[in-house]
Amino acid sequence: MGPLIPNGIIPSDWDSIIAILIGIAFGFVLEASGFSSSRKLAGVFYGYDFAVLKVFFTAALVATIGIYYMDYLGYLDVGQLYVHPTFLWGAIIGGIIMGIGFVAGGFCPGTSLCAVAIGKIDAIIYVVGIMIGVFIFSELFFLFEPLYEGAFFGNITLMDSLGVNPYWFIFIFTIIAIVSFVISDIIRKRNKKIFY
Amino acid sequence: MVKRKVAKVLAFRYKILAGILIILAGGLVLLPKYEKHEGIKPEQLLSNVISPERYISTDILADKLINQDPSYLLIDVRDKESYHTYTLPNAINIPLAKLLDEDSERYLNQDEYDVVLFSNDNFYADQAWILCNRLDYQNLHVLKGGINQWFNTVINPPKPLENMPTEQFELYSFRKAASMYFGVAYPEQFKAVKKPKKKIVKKIITVKKKKKAPAEGGC
Amino acid sequence: MTKKIKINRHVYWNPYFGGFLLGIIILFTFYLTGRGLGASGAMKSGVVTIVDTIAPTHAENSAYYSRFISEDKSPMNTWLVFEALGVLIGAFISGGLTGRIGWRTQHSPKITKKRRLAFALGGGILFGLGAQIARGCTSGAALSGMAVLSTGGFITMLAIFGSGFIFAYFFRKNWI
Repeated sequence: MGPLIPNGIIPSDWDSIIAILIGIAFGFVLEASGFSSSRKLAGVFYGYDFAVLKVFFTAALVATIGIYYMDYLGYLDVGQLYVHPTFLWGAIIGGIIMGIGFVAGGFCPGTSLCAVAIGKIDAIIYVVGIMIGVFIFSELFFLFEPLYEGAFFGNITLMDSLGVNPYWFIFIFTIIAIVSFVISDIIRKRNKKIFY
Repeated sequence: MVKRKVAKVLAFRYKILAGILIILAGGLVLLPKYEKHEGIKPEQLLSNVISPERYISTDILADKLINQDPSYLLIDVRDKESYHTYTLPNAINIPLAKLLDEDSERYLNQDEYDVVLFSNDNFYADQAWILCNRLDYQNLHVLKGGINQWFNTVINPPKPLENMPTEQFELYSFRKAASMYFGVAYPEQFKAVKKPKKKIVKKIITVKKKKKAPAEGGC
Repeated sequence: MTKKIKINRHVYWNPYFGGFLLGIIILFTFYLTGRGLGASGAMKSGVVTIVDTIAPTHAENSAYYSRFISEDKSPMNTWLVFEALGVLIGAFISGGLTGRIGWRTQHSPKITKKRRLAFALGGGILFGLGAQIARGCTSGAALSGMAVLSTGGFITMLAIFGSGFIFAYFFRKNWI
């Protein structure tokens, strides 16, 4: 039955309106969770605030478990969902560059948009930076093309590449996430508190 | 007192939440797995099988063809040779073996036309009908009796006996007219003998594929 | 009194609660549209639009821009741009309700404003570059990818946070 728009249950004209509504909810939750503050975001790397880790893992877990329950009950077809394609080296090198950008700038694109909305000047500069980054990439595309297009494995999931049962994987992933929450709390108590 | 109890529970709130999360994730592991049915449920299929709409009689089909009803799509499920030897006007050949190919899907899985499946008798057409119906294709019919019945009724209708009711005579005259339309000559109507050979123009039908946009990318 | 408001401004939701709601939103997004959330895609559309307006011939000849330009549709008319607009509105509402709106530059007291802005610009450039190479940012590739157990999503997530922890040492003065 689901997803609703690709299967034509909701006409695709509603796509843009739904996009705005989902965006509003997304922005509201991000901002209310404190993701508009770069110092809070960066806290995850220095052990004084683990909000990013907690929000990120909780969201991924809730979404994954929810998707698989809906698939089990027949409301949603997992096979029809968009799976982010795997370009191995692109993902690794891109991820590393993004990691440096994250520590240096203290935002990621979604959170920087939230911070722009509440008037953070550093976030506005950050968004300008992202656009410059995209511009550089596009202008030097011939340099990045082998990386961008190379080592393509298709739209694969972990089930394809590791050969594990998704349900067991989700279960293990849940336990890993909970353990990481506990550890993050222990680390935070050891570090001195930082007010920001 | 109540407050203290609440506080006691609240002290464990993260453990409780973690427990719920583990139970939910464990539920996915432990839930009994079943083979997902591709297509519709067995009950639905059964009720479709019993439904009288499954068959279309040769007379009705002849009527539709003569009136050139554009909403009908004839599909011949026999093999290629039989199809080239004889087929109904404007029929499309999809042999049973190729029924579930991607090319065939655009003819079968659509809601624009009423699809009529036929073979020499009911047998293969019924098989095709079941296969397609299970995949929840809409508007499928089987020509009752197939081409054999078509010959026996429309092309070569049996003359009714004198003592039969008038409806039978009306049916006979309709069938005779139909058979003339489809190119059979009768000795008592010499005018029709010189009927120009009807060239069967193969209808080329472009069937729009059912809307099923693929989900697009994220970032 | 003013001090109290100042403290309250930084009282955010419980991260687990926020994460739960975010997860529900992702689930809902997948249920409705079959795709995940995203953010950097909107900025890419913005860049493509700017380049297409200023130098249309250059944009058409470029191997990268031309992928996102079509005759009948503006590059801004995509799902992600509308979603990004929604993010701006939603964050503005949330910030407005808790009184966090205002022109501010947030930085550690040990560094100057200028230094913070310079690092923000550099970080943004790197993030924009990385997001294009990996075809998605933390929300598009990592978060939405993880929700459908995409291999690429997990690799991207591990790479972002892994390199973040490794390079955190060099930037420690900016934050602590």
